[in-house]
Amino acid sequence: MFVGQRWNALTMSHKRWWLLPALLLTGVLAMTDAAATPVTFNTALPVSRDEAVVRIQAKSLRATDDSGPMNRKLAVDALPLVVGWGLSARWTLFGIVPLLDKRLRVSLPAGHVTRGVRGVGDVTAMLRYTVYQNDQLGRTFRIAPFAALEMPSGKDDERDSLGHLPATLQLGSGSWDSLIGIVTTVQSLKTEWGLSTDYKFNRQANGFQLGDEARIDLSYHRRIAAYNIAGSGPCFLYAGLEDNLVWQNKNHSGGVNDNDSGGTTLYFAPTLQYVTMRTVTGLAVQTPVIQQLNGDALEQDFIATLSLRVNF
Amino acid sequence: MKKLPLLLAMLIFAWSGLAMAAGTQYELRVDGLSCPFCAYGIEKKLKKTPGVESVEINLERGMVVVKARTGVVLTKAQMKKLVKDAGFSLRSMTEKALP
Repeated sequence: MFVGQRWNALTMSHKRWWLLPALLLTGVLAMTDAAATPVTFNTALPVSRDEAVVRIQAKSLRATDDSGPMNRKLAVDALPLVVGWGLSARWTLFGIVPLLDKRLRVSLPAGHVTRGVRGVGDVTAMLRYTVYQNDQLGRTFRIAPFAALEMPSGKDDERDSLGHLPATLQLGSGSWDSLIGIVTTVQSLKTEWGLSTDYKFNRQANGFQLGDEARIDLSYHRRIAAYNIAGSGPCFLYAGLEDNLVWQNKNHSGGVNDNDSGGTTLYFAPTLQYVTMRTVTGLAVQTPVIQQLNGDALEQDFIATLSLRVNF
Repeated sequence: MKKLPLLLAMLIFAWSGLAMAAGTQYELRVDGLSCPFCAYGIEKKLKKTPGVESVEINLERGMVVVKARTGVVLTKAQMKKLVKDAGFSLRSMTEKALP
């Protein structure tokens, strides 16, 4: 058996690590647009009509806790660029372009093998509509459903010296995938609550279908300091806690379900954000506190996110 | 004595010029302003409005203070639309001539 074939046979029998980059990329949808908002998911707060908000994030996922003989180590780094454009007071259009770097290292009898890929992933377009808005002095309460379409713009036929990369390591899924959800935000000058839920429908491409995904996110942020800097206006510092409950269905490959894929993960993430009138700088580290995954698993260590939002 | 009317006319002209420079101050009470980052949307829209010289935002009071040149009129309907387009709600608006 060639090394590449053996590598594929070994890793494809333990596909659940595929869940990990998928989870990271769904975090790409955390395209918040106002202050003290969640770092790891969406918000209902406004983008002004005919104005743009840009968000760039640096996300790193590490999964190294493999009890099996392959001693798998997965590293996924992503730079999702998000642009939000206010179509009207209630409608906002978002575009997300992720730059990805995926690397999987596996121990084989012949030695260590690392395979990976780097480039632009699937581009996502998302529409959000504010159906309910209650504004009072220094506080707002909003509810906004959203829908997204992930286009198969990322390459899904990458190869390396060992041959064709498995679907799990490709930059793109090759399929048109969709997502619907709803987000609620309650924000005052001192605190912010966020609650979001969404469902992602993944379709088949190249004989492989990533399992559908559902998630519920909850956030709480509290202002811990306020400054008034001459020429820059008010600046706030927030500390927060975020929880993400993510469920993923089993993958479907070659006409059958992959029993070593899918499962449920609960993340817990402390956050810190510094907010000015022009920028929001945020940091979050998601730690999986519960991982109930199907079959053998490569469990996650953490997902770290550094985020910068800029008003233009 | 023949120069007195001319002198008076010059003083009146100079005074009116100062008055024009003072302009009008509008105070907008805006609901929903809960963070500096989102408040920037209103500030940016106001600064794009012709005749607006300065914008100050007090988040704690939900107050947006706009200074406009004399002769420039900001109507409540205009401000209501502007604030709404920024994603917020205009509760009230007052104006006064600056001394």
